[in-house]
Amino acid sequence: MARIGVFICHCGENIGGTVDCEKVARTVAGYDGVAYSIDYKYMCSDPGQSLIKQAIKEKELTGVVVAACSPRMHEPTFRRACSEAGLNPYLCEMANLREHCSWVHEKSDATTEKAIDLVRMLVEKVKKNHALQTIKVPVTKTALVIGGGIAGIQASLDIANAGHQVVLIDREPSIGGHMSQLSETFPTLDCSQCILTPRMVEVAQHPNITLYTYAELESIEGFIGNFKARIRKKAKSIDEKLCTGCGMCITKCPNKKIPGEFNEGLGTRTAIYVPFPQAVPNKPVIDRLNCTYYTKGKCRVCEKFCPTQAIRFDQEDEIIEIPVGAVVLATGFTVKDTGFFPEYGYGKYRDVITGLQFERLASASGPTFGEIRRPSDGKIPQKIVFVACAGSRDPAKGIPYCSKICCMYTAKHAMLYQHKVHDGESYVFYMDIRAAGKMYEEFVRRAIEEDGVNYIRGRVSRIYEKNGKLIVKGADTLLNAMPVEIEADMVVLATAGVANEGSEELAQKLHVSYDEYGFFSEAHPKLKPVETNTAGIFLTGACQAPKDIPETVSQASAAAAKVAGLFSKDELSREPLIAVVNRSAPPLYSTCVGCFMCATACPYQAIEHEEIRDRKGQLIKTVARVNPGLCQGCGTCVAFCRSKSIDMEGYSHEQMYAEVMALLND
Amino acid sequence: MDELRNKARELLESGAVQMVIGYEQGTGNKTRAVFVEDPVQVPRLIFDSRCVQNLAVYMTKAEVRKKGKPALVASVPVLRSLIQLAYENQIHDESLVVLGVSPDLKLIEFSNLSEIENYLKQYTLEISIRDKEILQKLENMSADERWQYWTTVLEPCFKCYACRAACPLCYCTQCTVEDNRPQWVPVASHPLGNFEWHIMRAMHMAGRCTDCEACANACPIGIPLNLLTKKIVMDMGKSFGDNGPSLTARNPMSTFRPDDKENFIN
Amino acid sequence: MAEFEPKIVAFVCNWCTYAGADLTGTSRIKYATNVRIVRFPCTGRIDYMLLLKAFGEGADGIIVSGCHPNDCHYTSGNFHARRRWIVFRSLMDFMGIDVRRVHFSWVSAAEGAKWADVVNHAVANIRDLGPYDSYKKLAQNTEREISHG
Repeated sequence: MARIGVFICHCGENIGGTVDCEKVARTVAGYDGVAYSIDYKYMCSDPGQSLIKQAIKEKELTGVVVAACSPRMHEPTFRRACSEAGLNPYLCEMANLREHCSWVHEKSDATTEKAIDLVRMLVEKVKKNHALQTIKVPVTKTALVIGGGIAGIQASLDIANAGHQVVLIDREPSIGGHMSQLSETFPTLDCSQCILTPRMVEVAQHPNITLYTYAELESIEGFIGNFKARIRKKAKSIDEKLCTGCGMCITKCPNKKIPGEFNEGLGTRTAIYVPFPQAVPNKPVIDRLNCTYYTKGKCRVCEKFCPTQAIRFDQEDEIIEIPVGAVVLATGFTVKDTGFFPEYGYGKYRDVITGLQFERLASASGPTFGEIRRPSDGKIPQKIVFVACAGSRDPAKGIPYCSKICCMYTAKHAMLYQHKVHDGESYVFYMDIRAAGKMYEEFVRRAIEEDGVNYIRGRVSRIYEKNGKLIVKGADTLLNAMPVEIEADMVVLATAGVANEGSEELAQKLHVSYDEYGFFSEAHPKLKPVETNTAGIFLTGACQAPKDIPETVSQASAAAAKVAGLFSKDELSREPLIAVVNRSAPPLYSTCVGCFMCATACPYQAIEHEEIRDRKGQLIKTVARVNPGLCQGCGTCVAFCRSKSIDMEGYSHEQMYAEVMALLND
Repeated sequence: MDELRNKARELLESGAVQMVIGYEQGTGNKTRAVFVEDPVQVPRLIFDSRCVQNLAVYMTKAEVRKKGKPALVASVPVLRSLIQLAYENQIHDESLVVLGVSPDLKLIEFSNLSEIENYLKQYTLEISIRDKEILQKLENMSADERWQYWTTVLEPCFKCYACRAACPLCYCTQCTVEDNRPQWVPVASHPLGNFEWHIMRAMHMAGRCTDCEACANACPIGIPLNLLTKKIVMDMGKSFGDNGPSLTARNPMSTFRPDDKENFIN
Repeated sequence: MAEFEPKIVAFVCNWCTYAGADLTGTSRIKYATNVRIVRFPCTGRIDYMLLLKAFGEGADGIIVSGCHPNDCHYTSGNFHARRRWIVFRSLMDFMGIDVRRVHFSWVSAAEGAKWADVVNHAVANIRDLGPYDSYKKLAQNTEREISHG
């Protein structure tokens, strides 16, 4: 039999001034199942809480309703008080007499009536509450970081320095990402590799970090704290333990004309190669698609010359399985190539290049050793045009968003050009200048005022070649859309930043949502920028949306903090207000018929198939089962189930039915 | 239907199936379901335009499943129900042998459920002229008039649940009306309870009903339940582009589109 | 003869509308006393049968409110709810239930003023429509066999 205790709070005058609390307490005392009903000035105070605890013990209460402020305010307080008195905390509910009643109504009989109604509703509900225990899920304290650019590197270091194990994988032969391709970074013009390579080395040498390059995620299963990841280590054709990184194979390889990915196609590399001299690990891989041995069955020169016999032509991909507790996605982004623009030549003009290609030209270790030279004839351009917003902010091209970094790097490129070609003329066609970061606006001003870069506000409608020059046709909208035509030697397009290739498949493997552009979705755009909807999987860097290096590093540290928080305990504690599918005795086992409509609706993939078998192993039926580690307690599945086989603790069918039916009955 | 009978005999004699579920002559001018286990009984099988009972309903009955693997005589509405059942994990390719019957009474043999789905693509869910007229009439009434109509029509319902028994998609081992904690729908016939039962069942059919009208045919009082099912089927098609049962397309009720349109949420 | 005061139930989600209603309180914005709020974790949890039960218990009007699309705390609960309401409202209308008495809204945790508006608007609207006698009549014809446990 229910013995509910009702505690009406005056909250000073906040409730007492408008609601007749004594009357409420008196009326409720007469209800079925209410064993104790009082009112008091301040329930949340120490004496108030003591009243509750005493009553629980003396009156042997089976449930408590505190009618006071909003449960969003003090539910944890009163639940704790109940727990301390020996009553399961989930047998305590709160009726909102303040925010929803006394503060929004005038003092009147109707207000007191409403207060009585609200208390009665919660009394009926709490009679159906179940005693619940917090859910504990074990945690594997290893993080898997996918992507070894600056985001992945920063996250790995932060997590490793917090004392946890990290497995960092990258699908390229080296870590470093796009930041390693940059010459100088804005707004400080720091040499990119100078600030990045020490971190890369730190990652390689850190005792808590295991690095697998030329590796990809094959599959992953499990849930937060308990994932099982399968990594495919692609065959490098090298025995890494024997290779010393001497580079002899690279110098001897006869196949030298392969366009290099690191130089964005502006330079060449050999078939056995290290992407760039500062690569980590500094061990080569063989590009099997282009190597003469794999394509034609001849050569094997590298094998002849290798002083440690480290070449392994018959090496195969290896799959390894790692248990991890959290995953950090740091797979970065890419930029559109010049072939995306029909109006700018469809990519056939060799001197129309992307911003990333310009970085390689400007880079001292690039294909032109830091001199800005035209890819077509190697001459130094005297007039160069930079086109901002090439593809971005353009719904017609399917990229309505802003790529965020181009205004800044265009200014940077123009400055670098002016520094290297003192008498050169540079022009930037822009729509707006987005320089919102620290020292960003000053940086762009420097380009305009000190380095003499010409900024023209307008778009470029066409670029075509004539007599070895690139004719750039645009307009100057600040001069009433006056047409502008420039005969340029080189054009740099600030092409749109887009999701990396393969991001959709990766997101699907991890059950992470992604938007229509392929960028991964955060759990909440403002309040959860580094979490995804899949518990235990975090996001960082440009794979979520284009961003610059300071933001990437912040986000990486944020994700690492979340992971460290997750790993700070051996067990995850979670509120037990989750869904549960009923189970009963054989031969029924469960009223669930296994239609799995619930599973389709669940935003967290928290519903699994459970096979019920007899002693001989014969399948009797397949029913749904809720994974208590994943379920977040939204209750959508509960409303879907036709047979009401799935129910939700804390907001069960019985509880909500009782609450609604108590509305208007006296 | 000699073709059908021959195939049935062949299946029984070879042991490929333990039972053939089809139609036989019933009392008066009616047909009824027959469960033929002995090849000698095969001549009882018939098929003509009176055979409208949805035999797919037997696929979810434990008593039938215990007998072994059945062959099922399936007209187009029955085939649709089979696809929906397969989508909901109640049957799969190995559960039965399907003896399809086309609208022009030809036997079609299917080797798996995907073939059935392909075959069904040529048939759209049609609403008869007569039903369209009644639905239009209802739409033209005011809400109050419709309330009068339905409360009158549902008043004689005595909760026999024949509609539920006849529907192939009502296969829950424990129906919500059998739940008494809480008792959502009163057990006995009551004006409000009848209303609640039928509106609840219609909602449970949303996105699943294949419009076979087995429920309306089974009702001993002749309540026009087909109007409710037609309304739901039409709504799902209009609001969410639901094209009927499919093995792969997701149920429109447990999925959503971020841009679903409505005009009543402020 | 007292003027008819409608009885309104509001089914709201914890993270947005309940919080929004809290904000209305913190901001001391006044609204009509007729509404009783029932708290759910998410609009996705709201069973349509509860709407019918509310009418059957004597409610004259219902408010259903949750997070704006794309803002659901559980990502997609409100999207599922929206689909469910589209179908259920159409079915209710088809069967003659007065759908003008069911008000749906999206009220976020920051929209304290909007919540007051929604309530006042619903109360005024339903006061004009009068008590929901036709439904109550059907309910009274019913002998209640429901166990309250």
